[in-house]
Amino acid sequence: MVERQSPLEPEFHVGSHGNFEHGVEIILTETRPGSIVQLAAWPGEEKKLIAAIRTVAGLALPDGAGGGLSDGVKSVFGFAPGKFTVADEVEGLAAAFAKVVTPIIGTVTDLSHGRTAIRIAGPKAEWVLAKFFAIDFALPAFPIGAGRSTTHHDVFAQIQRTGADQFDIYVFRSFARSFWKALCHASEEVGYEVQ
Amino acid sequence: MSPRRTDTGGRIDRLKTIRFTFDGAAYTGHAGDTLASALLAKGVTLYGRSFKYHRPRGLLTAGVEEPNALVTVLKGEVREPNIPATMVEIHDGLVAISQNRFPSLAWDINAVNQLGGKILSAGFYYKTFMGPVFGPLKGTRFWMFCEHFIRRAAGLGSAGSAKDPARYERMNAFCDVLVVGSGPAGLMAARAAADQGARVMLADLEPRFGGSANWSDETIDGAPAADWARRTVAQLEGRDNVRLLPRTTVWGYYDNNTLAALERVSDHKEQPGKGEPRHRYWAIRAKSVVLATGAFERPLVFPGNDRPGVMLAHAAERYANEFGVLPGERIALFTNNDSAYRAAIALKKAGAAVVAIADIRPELSPEMRKLAAEAEAEIFAGHAVVATEGGKALSGLKLQRFDMTNGALIGDARSIHADCLLMSGGWSPTIHLASQAGAKAEWNAARQAFLPPKPTQSWIGAGAFTGSFSTLEALAEGRAAGLAAAGGQSTPAVLPVVEAVPGDPDPAPVFEIRAKGKSFVDFQHDVTAEDVRLAHREGFVSVEHLKRYTTLGMATDQGKSSNVPGLAIMAEALGKPIPEVGTTRFRPPFAPVSIGSLAAERFGDLRPERLTPMHDWHLANGATMYSAGLWYRPMIYGHAGETVEQAYVREAKATRDSAGIVDVSTLGKIAVQGPDAAAFLDRVYTNMFSTLAVGKARYGLMLREDGLAFDDGTTWRLGEQDFLMTTTTANAGKVMQHLEYFLDVIWPELKVHVTSVTDEWAGAAIGGPKARQILAACVTGTAVDNATLPFMGIVRGEIAGVPVMICRLSFSGEMAFEVYCGAGHGTHVWEALVEAGKPFGLVTYGLEALGTMRIEKGHVTGAEIDGRTTARDLHLDWMLSKKKPFIGSAMMDREGLIASDRLELVGLIALDNKPLNGGAHIVEEVDEANPHGSIGHITACCYSPALGKHIALALVKAGKARQGTRAHVSDPLRNRFGPVEIVSNHFYDPEGTRMHG
Amino acid sequence: MLITCPYCGPRDVIEFTYQGDGNRERPDPASQNFEAWNAYVYDRLNPAGDHNEIWQHSGGCRTHLRVVRNTLTHEISSVAFAHGGHGSAARRKAEDKS
Repeated sequence: MVERQSPLEPEFHVGSHGNFEHGVEIILTETRPGSIVQLAAWPGEEKKLIAAIRTVAGLALPDGAGGGLSDGVKSVFGFAPGKFTVADEVEGLAAAFAKVVTPIIGTVTDLSHGRTAIRIAGPKAEWVLAKFFAIDFALPAFPIGAGRSTTHHDVFAQIQRTGADQFDIYVFRSFARSFWKALCHASEEVGYEVQ
Repeated sequence: MSPRRTDTGGRIDRLKTIRFTFDGAAYTGHAGDTLASALLAKGVTLYGRSFKYHRPRGLLTAGVEEPNALVTVLKGEVREPNIPATMVEIHDGLVAISQNRFPSLAWDINAVNQLGGKILSAGFYYKTFMGPVFGPLKGTRFWMFCEHFIRRAAGLGSAGSAKDPARYERMNAFCDVLVVGSGPAGLMAARAAADQGARVMLADLEPRFGGSANWSDETIDGAPAADWARRTVAQLEGRDNVRLLPRTTVWGYYDNNTLAALERVSDHKEQPGKGEPRHRYWAIRAKSVVLATGAFERPLVFPGNDRPGVMLAHAAERYANEFGVLPGERIALFTNNDSAYRAAIALKKAGAAVVAIADIRPELSPEMRKLAAEAEAEIFAGHAVVATEGGKALSGLKLQRFDMTNGALIGDARSIHADCLLMSGGWSPTIHLASQAGAKAEWNAARQAFLPPKPTQSWIGAGAFTGSFSTLEALAEGRAAGLAAAGGQSTPAVLPVVEAVPGDPDPAPVFEIRAKGKSFVDFQHDVTAEDVRLAHREGFVSVEHLKRYTTLGMATDQGKSSNVPGLAIMAEALGKPIPEVGTTRFRPPFAPVSIGSLAAERFGDLRPERLTPMHDWHLANGATMYSAGLWYRPMIYGHAGETVEQAYVREAKATRDSAGIVDVSTLGKIAVQGPDAAAFLDRVYTNMFSTLAVGKARYGLMLREDGLAFDDGTTWRLGEQDFLMTTTTANAGKVMQHLEYFLDVIWPELKVHVTSVTDEWAGAAIGGPKARQILAACVTGTAVDNATLPFMGIVRGEIAGVPVMICRLSFSGEMAFEVYCGAGHGTHVWEALVEAGKPFGLVTYGLEALGTMRIEKGHVTGAEIDGRTTARDLHLDWMLSKKKPFIGSAMMDREGLIASDRLELVGLIALDNKPLNGGAHIVEEVDEANPHGSIGHITACCYSPALGKHIALALVKAGKARQGTRAHVSDPLRNRFGPVEIVSNHFYDPEGTRMHG
Repeated sequence: MLITCPYCGPRDVIEFTYQGDGNRERPDPASQNFEAWNAYVYDRLNPAGDHNEIWQHSGGCRTHLRVVRNTLTHEISSVAFAHGGHGSAARRKAEDKS
């Protein structure tokens, strides 16, 4: 298996940066999931798709439009009506879903190369993200597991909250380095560590 | 030197000394001082020169409304002009300078302007710089001649040209309740809302929360009001649901309770912390807002009211009580209301002599008489100040008996010796944000003030903002507002007990004392009462016109202290009551905002960069990058000493001779999936896609609804219900939106999903006579011969262990293939292809060579599909299916779109063998002196290595019929004229034998 | 200005793209009724008051919305999915419960 190249490579500097002498309040990392898949149900077929997600990924989403879950290895969240993003540490998720998500239910689109997953964690995660996105990151408004589709200027982003102070941001690969640089820059004031 | 620092009192820390300079002189102040208070404590009375007349000016206020004391703050090479000294917190190393003076503040050459007051009256610019001819100079040219001098003489501080290295940021914030203003009303509101569990933000433009509590000298719950404020803030600080924003000016109130605020994060520090911004722009979406913005005290309009040493009464009270600074030692007061008496007491307590209180009102309440007695001040009831004396500092003033019913001055003037005159013309609630939020203010005759309108958005007012000027009312209203804003039901906390000086909130309805001399209304723009009357005499009756003609209220202070007196004088001139004259609408920003904060993170870095998977390889291998939209693409891979033209000619030639490879990852790629995908494509493309076999690709053309050409590209059928559409790089986003619109809005019954997969795939196009051999050398798992991979065929295989998808299609006109793989493997596959190509003379080529080969082939791009051309204009009518309707089919045959004289795509060959220019016009006959008669223009041009000629594509009127004829380029801007031959756009290999092999 | 996307909730207007007059009716694709096509492509209402508009939440879930907006006040009185099939996909009920 040929290893995938990260789009962040030349700008990915492991270690502490910015105002870290006063403590590191942000941890940035690239989660590099093996699979990122987009699933989309035809109107009325959402429940079958949710069932398919349970079958393949073992993640039981509540019925309905939104919601999301993460077990630390696999993650799923709704980002649009009837549409979900699923990520897995290992490769092969698209093929697995293709067997279960029949044309009657909806479609499977492999985005494992096309999206870059960046994780921001730490007590100042909400603070730093608020510099970019005009959405409410407070826990009551953005519960753990949930996903959001939003945008920072031209950079489209899907964001899943995977912990009380942890978010996974999925951006288009071609924008990833630019966004990463901006994220590092914005984290400087609170001190950040790249892992 | 009469002003001085008191020995005790104030919210400053006398143990901490801070060193700074003003106009080059070294000063010291204390922690907690503003530049204004620190300088005042050192006896400085002169702070600036006025806008037009260059009159000496001192401090009028102690806050954001300051019109006079504007300074420029220098940080290294960066200068920020026009900051009120009252808003600059001193820090070690602060460097500030005064403005609008030459050569120095104390001795200013332009002060002679005062003598020419008649000329510089209202409408000066309009009257002077229009109409008549002055000798050889026409009106406008005369203006331009004078402009240079006027701009030097009139105005504000000058901006610097050094690059600002500071960092600016934007923050998005959400809250249940935003409280604007942290005086007693704001603090109470914040506490009440926070007690309900609401998410609260509290913003105040001052560094210290507390507002008037910091200087009112009242007691709240038995303690000094300032202590109560400090305690309340400390309670709020400890709560998770409260965010406190000191030094934060809420400056804009927009739709849907979206507010804009500027936080001055590090201006007060010698150095910002690592990564800390200078300013932060807060975009706040608040469910509800409590406006507790207080009120501004108004000056009185009388001759000499602008002399240094004349100050608003509350400002002096503030300097004494908040900063421990006495603005004078012999202080006189001039007022039309009770609030100034509190200032008299405060200054007396702080150690000044209060020599006189001139009150416009003939009858004074016993309470006020008692206060005056306490201040040991002589009372002059029914008196007015008619003149002030002194130069750069006040030395005295003249009083005269005044009849407020008719404005008459009676009897002889009487001189009083004083070094400071405090004035109070009543109070104007700070209703700016409420006005921005959408409704008109209402005049209240008792308060002689515009009070906030009925809310049109979700806000609640409290305290002086509503016209309730006492602290007790402020606390009660604040509590109620906070509770209501949080939607609270529970019993509110007990109201604190306030001990305050008594006072009637209603002033006498007098704004101006008409006597001889310049009486200023707008201090910053030097607008006098006489200017306002002049504007009226010249026919300006609307308050909006008055404002523009006199420039009243149009300076950087936006008339915070001058609007209401100006209106009152206008109303009097018109003989109308004030509410009939009306007020101007306040607009954002409430106070000046740094441009940097608005640009925020885009400051210095306007756009994100979009990079292909092979970006770093291109850089490492000598590519010169070119920005195409947000993308960066190789323009050429230049060799040492090569020009751009030499490089692309070499690359194109090598591709046609052997093989070339180019990064095409930027092409828009859209997954079109679902049972109705084929039917959908039949509707969006002009040609058929339902007939396309799985494993084949087809070139497609899209039109817009109006029948004009929209975009083109190949679409690959990967499965029965699975297509991969490619679009031009530039139109990828637009095509995506186009498809989404039709699926979502027009044809919701179609089961099709579209997904942008541009970034999923890395793409390399490899073309040339040796291309197939190179692929054969590195591709495993599939053959690439003509039988397995015919023109427009698709195969899957592997290159260097990575799965790839190969489609045989050609943009260069050569035998060519597009190789796609997962983006994360892009560089790996690219390197393998380059390596495999070495024995075959494979070159990497960039956009220039790509463009050259496409021009040689006559392919169209966005330069030709420019939103005005039809399929026929581009000779693509063979793609217009007659078997089905498609988007644009109903409109494409309109009369104007099929006319015979339309601009049509042609090729041009320069007959003089000189380069052609994009955008140059084509004419039948050259007329260099008077270029005219354009029959079209060049869309793209290059030197063609294949033809050995300078060629171009052009859109020419009835171009097809002109093929074989001669015309000329006419490009007067670049002085390029010359003969061309009009030919077919297919310059090279028109039969396509090379790509079909 | 905020638009309350039925899926994503209230979002800033910068996340949305105006996609035209919501009163347009596209003629039958095969129709040759030129007047109808002309009206569809070019004729636009320009009311001072409530206006039916199509907006795409292009910086969010990318669905198209039918929005009734008052052109005088910016007040938005209704927002619905343009795609009738999303009717049941109303915003995140499940998430709010979980």
